[in-house]
Amino acid sequence: MSPRRLRALVRRVIVEIRRDRPSLALLFIAPILVTGLFTFILRDASGPDVHVAVASQGSGPAATLVSDRLEGALTAAGMAVTHANSVDEAQTAVRDGSASIAILLPASLAPGTGATITLLTKGLDPSGDTAQIAAVSQAVLGGLASSMGAVLPAITHATVYGAPSSDPMAPFAPAIVAFFLYFFVYLLTGVSFLRERTGGTLERLMATPVTRGEVVTGYTLGFGFFAMVQVALLLAWALVAVRVPAIGPLPGFAVGLGISVAGSPLLAFVVVLLLALGAVSLGIFLSTFARTELQVIQFIPVVLVPQFLLSGVLFSVDSLPSVLQPLVHVMPLAYAVDALREVFIRGADLSVTAVQVDITVLAAVAGLFAAVASRTIRRDVV
Amino acid sequence: MMNSDPIPPAAPDAGGAAIRAVGLVKRFGPVIAVDGMTFDLAPGRIYGLLGPNGSGKTTLIRLLTGMTRATEGTAHVLGVRMPDRANLARIGYMTQGDGVYPALTAGENAQFFGAAYGVEDAAQVDEALRLVELADRAKTIAGTLSGGQRRRLSLACALVHKPPVLFLDEPTVGVDPLLRVQFWGHFRRLADAGTTIVVSSHVMDEADRCDELLFMRAGKVIARGSGEQLRTEAGTDDLEAAFLRFAGETAVAA
Repeated sequence: MSPRRLRALVRRVIVEIRRDRPSLALLFIAPILVTGLFTFILRDASGPDVHVAVASQGSGPAATLVSDRLEGALTAAGMAVTHANSVDEAQTAVRDGSASIAILLPASLAPGTGATITLLTKGLDPSGDTAQIAAVSQAVLGGLASSMGAVLPAITHATVYGAPSSDPMAPFAPAIVAFFLYFFVYLLTGVSFLRERTGGTLERLMATPVTRGEVVTGYTLGFGFFAMVQVALLLAWALVAVRVPAIGPLPGFAVGLGISVAGSPLLAFVVVLLLALGAVSLGIFLSTFARTELQVIQFIPVVLVPQFLLSGVLFSVDSLPSVLQPLVHVMPLAYAVDALREVFIRGADLSVTAVQVDITVLAAVAGLFAAVASRTIRRDVV
Repeated sequence: MMNSDPIPPAAPDAGGAAIRAVGLVKRFGPVIAVDGMTFDLAPGRIYGLLGPNGSGKTTLIRLLTGMTRATEGTAHVLGVRMPDRANLARIGYMTQGDGVYPALTAGENAQFFGAAYGVEDAAQVDEALRLVELADRAKTIAGTLSGGQRRRLSLACALVHKPPVLFLDEPTVGVDPLLRVQFWGHFRRLADAGTTIVVSSHVMDEADRCDELLFMRAGKVIARGSGEQLRTEAGTDDLEAAFLRFAGETAVAA
């Protein structure tokens, strides 16, 4: 490998990207925008607006006591409550939208009768229904307990690693950072290398003494440089929150997501960088199978979306169907997500076996893909 | 810093030929693109590969530059059997497409390909740009150059390392008549300085500018000689008619 030729290749890749302003913006601003939006949605999601219609099928003082206590508990939990005189009336209220959920109490709730309380929703929004049902169920149990003269115990949550975080973004942050980086680096390298193939410059380059290894290494170092800047920027954005004080009529605000990290940000940087280098080779490799830039984009649902679904970004790996579990082990992203969670949440350092395994696999994948990518550059390019 | 690929010394065993092909065959599956070519090309001359599209011109150039491997036979350039990566430092190759980086300036393109060939001397890069009359455009982004200017830049990138052998694959396609005349002026000057040039073309009116022509059809060299010789041999004063005469004969012979 000639250092001079390599230097020329790296410099060329860097100059090309630097001149490509829209791509630079995509590389640096898009991940910040998307992670920022994701965080905003997660942290400031408003709870469901619950409007309950309560209908009791029973009569008499016992039934009235239950529905009174229940309505009291629901109101205390901040929900709007209306009393329906019949099951039909409650159903109509849900159907026409004046109530978001209806509680249908059976004729008798006497202990030992195996009575069933029915919660009725529209059924158009499964996740919204789940949230409502959770909120209502708790209030229903509290109301019933008090109508029977009992008080339910309070339930709190503690965690083994670190203080229990009230930040809903904390468990997602490592995965989101890794995924978006992987995504954008793949996209840029894939498109750039495709241009190299279709623009005739690769063929011309192969008619010089430059080796395939030098081309792939040149790309890896050139894009690696931008990936490094991107990772540093994205990590700074995710981990830091700089408070800007209120100035005159402008309210104060924070720049950065301020996600807490238990471990070393430097170790996180190394993990993400290894992942990015793998993405460079993946882009070069897949550009072999594309004829147009659109096709590079069309690989995203085939190559990146399964990784997104199977690498524990949104869905925990343990909760995946057992058939899919083995696939997790071949997803580079899964190792990066795991390592980052170890570092961010458990505060793991390099002495932790899981982190060692993850980093080794990521480095091996980056190396393997670089070798495979260089095999796709044939002297036989047509 | 040492160049990691020392240029192999030219072997004189090619009988003084700059380029030698012996029984060269290239098959793509059932398609025979080059069908047994044997020839010697002497140094310092301009050779024209003439033939219709699909006659094997580009494949022959790719075989001679070592971009693709021969199915049978051998190709030597400057006494070195191709493919040979280090020998590429002595070969210039102007592809059919422009093959320049649109985001880089003209100067950066020439400099980059120079570096790829092992040229570090900035003056030599400037010289290549001057030769194609682009010195005043060195700082212009290649993507904004006119089609003719890009073609000239492509030529500069192919000869930035002063190669003794230059392959030009249809260099004048899409080039206006004035620039075409300029190009041939460049080629002649380079040949006079000792460069062996192989130009492929399907434009017959360019052919007379070559020292020697190789008529190609269906992967075979069907005739060889100067334009004058070929016309006389075919008994016509029109090169196109001469080509058809030779092509007709081989078709009948086959």
